[in-house]
Amino acid sequence: MENTNNDYHVSFFKPVTTRARRNRNMVIKLIIVWAVAIFGFQITLKLLGKPTPEPALTEFNAVWTDVKDGNASEAQLKVFANSVLQCLGKIYIEPDMKTALSNAFNYSLFQIAGDELDELCHNVEAFNELKSSSDNIADLTYIQSRKKLEADVADILGISTTDVKIIAVPFSINADMKDEFTAENQALTEKAMNLYMTHNRSFLTDFNFLGFPFHYFYSAVFLLFLFVGLCWIYCVETDKIEKQEQMA
Amino acid sequence: MMKKILFLIIMLLVSVSTHAAAKATELEGSFKLGPAIILICVLVTFVMVGIIFRAKDTSDYYAAGRSISRVGSGMAIASNWMSAASFLGMAALMFGTGYHGLAYVVGWTGGYVLLLILMAGQIRKYGKYTAPDFIGDRFYSKGLRIFGAILAILISIAYCVAQFGGIGIMFKWIMGIDYVYALLIGGGVVLAYTLISGMLGVTKNMQIQYVIIIVSFLIPLFILLFKYDYFWLLPPIGYGSVVSDIVSGISIADSAELFNSYGHHFSIVASPEFAMPWAISSGGTFFQWMAIVFALMIGTAGLPHVIQRFYVVPNSKDARWSVVWGLFFICILYWTAPVYAAFGKILAAHPEVGSLAKDAIVVYTAQLGNIHPLIVGLLAAGAVSAAFSTVSGLLVTGASAFSHDLYVKVINPEATAKKQLMIARLGTILMAIIVAFIAMLELALIAELVALTFSLAGCTIFPLFLLGIWWSGSNKQGAIAGLIAGVLVSVVSISYFIFGKSGIVLPYHQFVEYWLGAWYFAWIGAPLAILVNIIVSKLTKPTPIEIRKFLVEQVHL
Repeated sequence: MENTNNDYHVSFFKPVTTRARRNRNMVIKLIIVWAVAIFGFQITLKLLGKPTPEPALTEFNAVWTDVKDGNASEAQLKVFANSVLQCLGKIYIEPDMKTALSNAFNYSLFQIAGDELDELCHNVEAFNELKSSSDNIADLTYIQSRKKLEADVADILGISTTDVKIIAVPFSINADMKDEFTAENQALTEKAMNLYMTHNRSFLTDFNFLGFPFHYFYSAVFLLFLFVGLCWIYCVETDKIEKQEQMA
Repeated sequence: MMKKILFLIIMLLVSVSTHAAAKATELEGSFKLGPAIILICVLVTFVMVGIIFRAKDTSDYYAAGRSISRVGSGMAIASNWMSAASFLGMAALMFGTGYHGLAYVVGWTGGYVLLLILMAGQIRKYGKYTAPDFIGDRFYSKGLRIFGAILAILISIAYCVAQFGGIGIMFKWIMGIDYVYALLIGGGVVLAYTLISGMLGVTKNMQIQYVIIIVSFLIPLFILLFKYDYFWLLPPIGYGSVVSDIVSGISIADSAELFNSYGHHFSIVASPEFAMPWAISSGGTFFQWMAIVFALMIGTAGLPHVIQRFYVVPNSKDARWSVVWGLFFICILYWTAPVYAAFGKILAAHPEVGSLAKDAIVVYTAQLGNIHPLIVGLLAAGAVSAAFSTVSGLLVTGASAFSHDLYVKVINPEATAKKQLMIARLGTILMAIIVAFIAMLELALIAELVALTFSLAGCTIFPLFLLGIWWSGSNKQGAIAGLIAGVLVSVVSISYFIFGKSGIVLPYHQFVEYWLGAWYFAWIGAPLAILVNIIVSKLTKPTPIEIRKFLVEQVHL
């Protein structure tokens, strides 16, 4: 860097040579692209995102008041149990909320079991016994008992045994919870359903690109490409500047 | 010689593969012979490479004789960077928190853009060995050099603790031994070859480690994608459909012939929370996402062991290009880490799989996907390599700060080269003992220490480098004041974090915990440190002419 006023001063924003000026301009351009690409996109995502319920939550909300007041019909209880089971099928639920959801599920399921109540209770008991005594989940008797329970509940709920939420049944069913749906668990159930089944969505999340939800592709794949590209551009341009400076 | 070793390794692997098959499919517990032999072979290779390329003098020990090529240095940067946190922790974060975890992917890669365009070339031109060396020289202060050295040591220790934890987890998984013994064995080996080799050996090792890390990480992904009927030729693109399937759910009917190793269908209840931004249930907010990204980015550009990599290339042009290569090599892993999280989510969806330790989800996913045990073993060896490569770099950085910046520059400037090397090695041993001791405690803080380290570096070292390089007006007084501001923010945040973990609630606990979270407090700490540095520098005596002259004529020439 040539020193024009002999005070040996370096400042990014006040370059004194052509080369430093070119470097500054390039760095500013790259940083703007970098910042807008990262933070600008996320801000847009935030601004456009609307809390959107899963279909199961919409169904839950439609029957919730009647279930809470004890006025729900059998059809409403079926809808209620199905929607709660959908939430129970998720991989991670806070333990206290899981208990509340289990209470909600068992309370509604055993109410609509009707004539199959005794058989269901018997199957639940049999499965629980096997679960606690068997240390091998590949044990055929255990698997058959689990499948039987899943089939029974699917029948009561009016869903297919290939409906994936059915896998949560053997691990959520508890006959001790069938008689009462406590006020505390009611409040927690409502909270859990809204917490786990509402998601921020917009066209950026719903639009599919190369198989990805677009926003996911952008953050997980594209941004990394961009970072490598920005670094590459910087190196090429700096080499060019250095070469021109040497020639001059 | 290397051919003979390779032949021996292949023969051993073939001989144990059948026996290993049954054992290694167990998620936890028993000794896994195949993975253990692969790991031992990998470790033996590291030590031998360390011996062959060992350091001959202090220049070799600190800076690898400045003879490493751009691509080689890029591989070393990537290997040095890709720690247990990248190899194991990244997938764990996304498995647990979905889109929130992507903040770490973006933060840990985007920081390299800053590092390159603001620092890499200039750091190399400055021509010092270590980060404290630069700080002490640029701000003409022995006190700042000492403080910089202490910071470098603290950051290295904190970062190392998490890596030792990762080594312990993997050794425990492979050998079926107690965590403490696993930690001692793994720690002993990494210490041995760092001591034998110094950075020259470490740099060569890092290049080999990079190849092992990336190959071991990618092979299971190709197999998983192929096996579960996704586009497998390009995993970073092929897993897009896996993410979309998690969002919409996979019914049992759709996965009739696809199972995990437990015999459960490859199916999952619709789980949009895995991919949708800032799902309330994941616990991360929009602000936290942005703050984490920012803090990790400036932390990246402030980590002493990352900055130190630029001292080992021949010139500033190589320093710049080594970042491009380094980032590209890093991105290969970061593009694919979410694949493990996505597959893990589906393969562990059945309640019977139970709750899995998130930090080992990469290995569990491969196991649940019925990948051959030897390949799972290679994956585990890759995880250990990732932790080893980072630990070795950190130990060298910490030892350099201890011997070069504290002992030679402050305590005994007359020290001979032999004495310097001895002190560097003593420093390495001391650090390893401290790190192993802290890691043994299995504190809840260990996992968070990596992110916390980034914020600490972002608040303290980053502002000193940024202003030190780009503004000759930044002087000693400004640097000290800025450093105090950065340290204060760090102390407040870390104190609230530690007290919070101990169950002690300080005033404004919730406010501080949210706005000054331990893993992103640099979002405010760094700008504050920069601002204070500028104001105080403006109000005090200007930087001496010889420093400004050096900056103009050497660094920005």
